[in-house]
Amino acid sequence: MQLANTIHHRLKLSPKILLTIGITFNLLLLGYFKYMDFFIQNFNRVFHGDIPLWHIALPLAISFYTFQQIAYLVDSYRKETKEYDFLNYTLFVTFFPQLIAGPIVHHSEMMPQFNVLRNTFKHYGNIALGLFIFSMGLFKKVIIADTFAVWATQGFDVATSLNMLEAWVTSLSYTFQLYFDFSGYTDMAIGIALLFNIKLPMNFFSPYKASNIQEFWRRWHITLSHFLKEYIYIPLGGNRKGEIRTYTNLFATFLLGGIWHGAGWTFVIWGALHGMALVVHRAWQKLGLRMPMFFGWILTFFFINIAWVFFRALNLESALKVLKGMFFGEMRIPALLGEYFSAVKTLGFQVGNWSKLYGSETYMGLWFLAVFIIVLFLPNSMQLKEKFKTNALYMLLTVCFSLSIFMLYRKSEFIYFNF
Amino acid sequence: MFQAKTYIKLLFFFFFLLAMISVGYVYDFSKKYPLPITNRISLDAKLMFIKNKINPDEIDTLIVGSSIGLNNVLGSVLEEASSKVKHAINLSVYEATTLEVEQLLKLADAFPNLKRIIYSTQYSDFPHAKKYQDFHPKLYRKYMRNELSLSKAFKVYFNACNNLLFCYERAKSWEEKHMKDDQFTYLGFDHTGSVPLEIYRKEKVKGGRWSAPHPGIMHGESFAAVHRMSKQAAQKGIKFYLAHQHYREPLVKKYPKVEGALNYFDRKIEKIFQETHGVLIALQRVHLSDDYHADRSHLNRKGATIISKEIAKVIERTESKE
Repeated sequence: MQLANTIHHRLKLSPKILLTIGITFNLLLLGYFKYMDFFIQNFNRVFHGDIPLWHIALPLAISFYTFQQIAYLVDSYRKETKEYDFLNYTLFVTFFPQLIAGPIVHHSEMMPQFNVLRNTFKHYGNIALGLFIFSMGLFKKVIIADTFAVWATQGFDVATSLNMLEAWVTSLSYTFQLYFDFSGYTDMAIGIALLFNIKLPMNFFSPYKASNIQEFWRRWHITLSHFLKEYIYIPLGGNRKGEIRTYTNLFATFLLGGIWHGAGWTFVIWGALHGMALVVHRAWQKLGLRMPMFFGWILTFFFINIAWVFFRALNLESALKVLKGMFFGEMRIPALLGEYFSAVKTLGFQVGNWSKLYGSETYMGLWFLAVFIIVLFLPNSMQLKEKFKTNALYMLLTVCFSLSIFMLYRKSEFIYFNF
Repeated sequence: MFQAKTYIKLLFFFFFLLAMISVGYVYDFSKKYPLPITNRISLDAKLMFIKNKINPDEIDTLIVGSSIGLNNVLGSVLEEASSKVKHAINLSVYEATTLEVEQLLKLADAFPNLKRIIYSTQYSDFPHAKKYQDFHPKLYRKYMRNELSLSKAFKVYFNACNNLLFCYERAKSWEEKHMKDDQFTYLGFDHTGSVPLEIYRKEKVKGGRWSAPHPGIMHGESFAAVHRMSKQAAQKGIKFYLAHQHYREPLVKKYPKVEGALNYFDRKIEKIFQETHGVLIALQRVHLSDDYHADRSHLNRKGATIISKEIAKVIERTESKE
């Protein structure tokens, strides 16, 4: 900030120009590291060029700290920042628990905490709570997400074609993998931060319970939604410039959100799909139409599940392979279900040998049943955090969740490390 | 409800207890079963075998390959049949591709008195150009030689603790899966680390494993790996033999593509060895009926004994001239 003040006074640059320079610099860095190869690929495709790809290594967490720095710059310009200590600023940008995969933190909720004297003392209550939240995150990642990861990878990356049930297993596996992976990481970040008496913002609140797409984005990656709203949607005009402009702003915001997630057309499509869904939802509300909550949930969940296919697929071909299987694949019913629903045979469905790709149908069925119960009916980690007490039950839960550490043999990275 | 400080103390007591139990379990496990150090059970088992039973300084002959190396060459027969081979060790790993064998050969430095390497292979090992991920030859060499520092040994055991469920599953299936010599997953080593199979024709190996030939696809990168391996061996003064193993004769007769693949393979290797001074041992010329085969490309104990004697003869012939 001192540097900015010096530049401001010596070079007589207006705050707006300084802001523009700051944002451009951050975006250029992000563009260079994250999107250069994507740009070259598309340039080559359109102009039949032969420019070799640069294969630039992506600096860890660049997408996250770019957002945080831009937010700080914008708020400084708006004169909404109060904290200018350089050490605190660097700590805010590089705070290790959340650095690599969020939650995306705002300077106004982080920097004041660094100066609170009380936070520099050992706080056993926070340590107990932090260990509980951390162990829960570990469990979500190691036990649940990594189990579904295997099935998702089989369907997306190994199989060349999928029958209908395999395709649904593949897409649902990824839907659950992503949620438990990312929210598990967030829980771990929140837990570790608590060991230092730092409170990180909530990032997930049972997103798959959402009964419409707007509610989903209030529950999923909450800090990203907040950032997109504050620093893209509102500056674009938000809902202040008429209905058509509101729809355009909504769509543009989510399109940019998609591009932020990764350099590829699949991310663009994913962002566009969510943008469109939000536009449709808003129009639906404006028309005063209503839908029973259950149908709303079904529609929302299946839309999200389908959109994740684009998010996960390595390329469009792979996404279309899964989608083709989901809607036009051969229908085979597991023998277990065929026994109970004899009518399916009369409908021409084949019973038994439902998959060459996946193993025991009973084992998989139980896993899917368990995660549906967890995501729809059990309290989420933030609700459990509120209920936490230093009693025997929570100690037992912490110890049980911590046992996941003995099952780390399925080595896998956190999905959001890539973003 | 506990005081927060008491709660933390109790919690850490339980964590400590869990850590101790897991360390105890892993220690006990490591006495009976191979620790998960690599991502191949047959390599884990081999590292443990060498660590516990072999004096690496005595080894003069190294056998490498996939199961074609593990099953088809018996180190004990080589030791008996050749005056040159005093102490052999079979370092082959199930399903190893040529590039993976090249990685395995990085472990050869653990044997300072090595005189020859025998790469036992078949054209069917050559279609893939994949490598081991997380392969740490320096660590494995030290582990085999019992030369791990305390911190490295701690790391090995600590990683195994992270794999506790994996260890449990390995222990549970070990006897059933790896201790029966009538199964292709057998890991009961002879004193040289070879695995003689007791699978005979009468047991009717089912399906394509017996009757369908491998496709004749061979990856150029695999031949390049043979070039590098033989060249490096020559530079170190180690003789490099490639034993091109026997394929079921009825399949060679029935499918011209198999014969074509065998001939193509031999021609390619001969060309490489003209430059690197390796020795090709083409074993298809040895007549072996189906009684000697466990499947289309794997030999049973009887077959492996005959083939090992053939290899011993070539070693004698080659090294007596030098």
